[in-house]
Amino acid sequence: MNKRWVSYIIAFFIIISLNFAIPRLLPGDPVSAIYGEDVMVKLSEDVKEYINSAYNIDKPVISQYFLYLASLFKGNLGYSLYYKQSVGKLLMSYMPFTLLLMGLAVIISSFFAFILGIESGWRRGKKIDLFLLYSIIISSGFPSFFIAALFLIFFGITLGALPMQGARTAYSGFTGFGITSDFLKHLVLPLSSLIFILIPPGYFLTRNAMLSNIKEPYILLARAKGLSDSKIRYGHAGRNSLIPFVTQTGMRMGTIIVTGSLFIEMVFSYPGMGSLIYNSILNRDYPVLQGSLLIVTFLVLIINFFMDILYVKIDPRIKYAH
Amino acid sequence: MLKVKNLRTSYGKNEILKGLDFEVSKEDIVAVIGESGTGKTTLALAIMGLLRYQQDNVKISGEIVFNGIDLSRLKEDELKKIRWSKISIVFQNVDNILNPVIPVFKQIKEILNSNDGTSIINDMLEKMDFPVSRAYAYPYQLSMGEKQKVMLAMAYILNPEFVILDEPTSALDFESKNNLIKIIKELSSQKAVLLATHDLDTAQNISNKTVVLYGGNIIESGSTKDVFTNPRHPYTRGLIRSYPSETRTKDLQGIKGNPGFTDNGCCFWPRCTQAIQICKEEKPLLTESNGRKIACHRYGIIPLVSVSRIKKTYENRSILKSISFDVYEGETLTILGRSGSGKTTLAKIIMGLIKPDDGEICLENMKVTCWDSAFYKKVQMIFQDTRAALSHRLNILESVTEPLLIQKCKSNEEMVDAAKQVLSEVGLPGSDDFLYSYPHHLSGGELQRVVIARALILSPRVLIADEPTSALDPSIQAKVLKLLNQIQEQRGLGMLFITHDLGVARKVSDRVMEINNGILKEKILR
Ligand code: SF4
Repeated sequence: MNKRWVSYIIAFFIIISLNFAIPRLLPGDPVSAIYGEDVMVKLSEDVKEYINSAYNIDKPVISQYFLYLASLFKGNLGYSLYYKQSVGKLLMSYMPFTLLLMGLAVIISSFFAFILGIESGWRRGKKIDLFLLYSIIISSGFPSFFIAALFLIFFGITLGALPMQGARTAYSGFTGFGITSDFLKHLVLPLSSLIFILIPPGYFLTRNAMLSNIKEPYILLARAKGLSDSKIRYGHAGRNSLIPFVTQTGMRMGTIIVTGSLFIEMVFSYPGMGSLIYNSILNRDYPVLQGSLLIVTFLVLIINFFMDILYVKIDPRIKYAH
Repeated sequence: MLKVKNLRTSYGKNEILKGLDFEVSKEDIVAVIGESGTGKTTLALAIMGLLRYQQDNVKISGEIVFNGIDLSRLKEDELKKIRWSKISIVFQNVDNILNPVIPVFKQIKEILNSNDGTSIINDMLEKMDFPVSRAYAYPYQLSMGEKQKVMLAMAYILNPEFVILDEPTSALDFESKNNLIKIIKELSSQKAVLLATHDLDTAQNISNKTVVLYGGNIIESGSTKDVFTNPRHPYTRGLIRSYPSETRTKDLQGIKGNPGFTDNGCCFWPRCTQAIQICKEEKPLLTESNGRKIACHRYGIIPLVSVSRIKKTYENRSILKSISFDVYEGETLTILGRSGSGKTTLAKIIMGLIKPDDGEICLENMKVTCWDSAFYKKVQMIFQDTRAALSHRLNILESVTEPLLIQKCKSNEEMVDAAKQVLSEVGLPGSDDFLYSYPHHLSGGELQRVVIARALILSPRVLIADEPTSALDPSIQAKVLKLLNQIQEQRGLGMLFITHDLGVARKVSDRVMEINNGILKEKILR
């Protein structure tokens, strides 16, 4: 485990150092590279000072670096001219939505993908298996934004049952329970389409793992022992299928975040990191873009870290191998 | 307890078990022995009702009657009730036989339905001499022997009536193996056990009955002691001979050909050295005689030469006093004796060179009345003194083909071909240079090989070898003895080996008899 700590810390420093280096490697000075040529002319004195204190262009590079680190740890990620807000605060207001959406989507989709995969693999070649297999193959053939749009059209427009965009109804004046239910209603469409998109890969993997695991000798032993079917299916075959499943989910986390935030949040105008990044690209809001990417990579790093701990828990052989 | 009747199993068109009949009673430990691929594991799985999980398209016919219930007809949920509580199994210790990600203790515990199995498990592990603290380890942290103990603990923990052990000692070192054999014996008292193994030591150590399987057929069965000390089916003998046991002294010998089973006739005929026409056409049935069952048209290994009550007196000195023995197909019987003990006289009597005072000699169960060319076609002898055996006026080709000339059965070219073939069999060149050289050109080892080649050219069934290597240097002697061993493996030659050298006797013989004062006695070699 110790070695892992070190590698995480190194990765972390590489990321923040890149974040430090990139604007400084661009032509011109970093402030004009990031905020545009004429920014200094237009800005008020406070903002100028804020920006200067963040970049310290007048100091040598080494001290710039340490000052950058110091301000980073204070949570200072720069200032967005577009939103007229510090990037740190901006991220704090967008981040929770993404975390909520992604967290729920990953948990719920993993649950279904895993259970369906196990049941399907266990009943290989039977009707239920074939039905699940073909329907999931077909649904996984559609691009994710297409599925999101389908959900949007069907549930939002045709049925009109659910709000189609945003995270809450503006100026509704809801209070108490009203706020919560309004918030949840807004979550339904993006969340369910994200779940829908995330299920197939996990399902396929689990089903495949089951197909090979049920041929393993320990399954024969479990059968010989006269264990109940569900015990063999979940306690033995499923337990072993969990290993590739968790590994794969961990590796897909980056992709999940990108599909999740970028496409889904865009389609449903859900106010999370995806929307923020998208808008900052449109508006050339580099400080926000930079800050968001830093936070997202940081997030991926943290998730990986927990995944590593999880691997050891579910596959004791890993610890042994290290 | 368990009765298997005409059990046949097949995957698709591939028939694995071809009609097995046997029985395991209470307190019986029945070893099923045979090489891999003969269907031992299939049999174990068939009894457990697990075959269909192992392969698609499984068909089972016949009966597997356990305490009056035919297991092969039971539904899965009925089988579930019998599995493990009545019949348990120790599977072959392959990778992943234990679930790799579950601590072994938990894997034992899931068998017990009660929540409080810990003390029962601890007791069991103690009996196996397995440290309880190790039980919380994962399978990959255990040694082969420890894993095997875990599996045994599992199998015996519900105190089942019938236990199947599939290769319980394979992949273990000598010490762990003996340790495990002891444990198995202890645990198995009062139980019926089916032990499937290719490890003959284990089979011999644990079981009281043995069933020999070849190509999905039972070819021999009987009490373990009988089967091992006196195998009657050629395959059983071959199997035992090829196994490096602790007590065998003869060099390892394989079985001719490669394992490959035929469905026409006897499953063993392509590898059998005593096969006759009917063997290729008709499948022999398992028939019983003297508590032994054997499936062979020739009722097992045949005696080639039977000597009974031979007496010989020279100048009032009784040299041979009523000597009787059999030389079986494919075996080497050594007559051990000091010089002057009469062993050469005995060989000459068999060869018809000296007349006995009394007694008779049978060849393939027929009494020999005259020693004609038909007899010498089947029985050949090689002598101690090679230089005397080969005429110095004949070249090698002429010497080797001399017996063919006497038998007048081949044309000239055929004779040359035959000579080249036997020469290559004994490891000599077939070049013209060699064929037309004379005995004095050759070394002692080469000469002895020429003599052997000459003896083999008629494809005899019996070879009598009188001190064939005593005139040779040890290194050459070793080569010639190995050669004889090999020829025996390929041709199924019955060999009567006559020597005064105990060391040589140990290496070449299946059985040794010692002649002393005219009396022949079986000598047990250890
Ligand atoms: S003699 Fe015939 S029946 Fe007997 S084992 Fe040989 S081939 Fe089979």
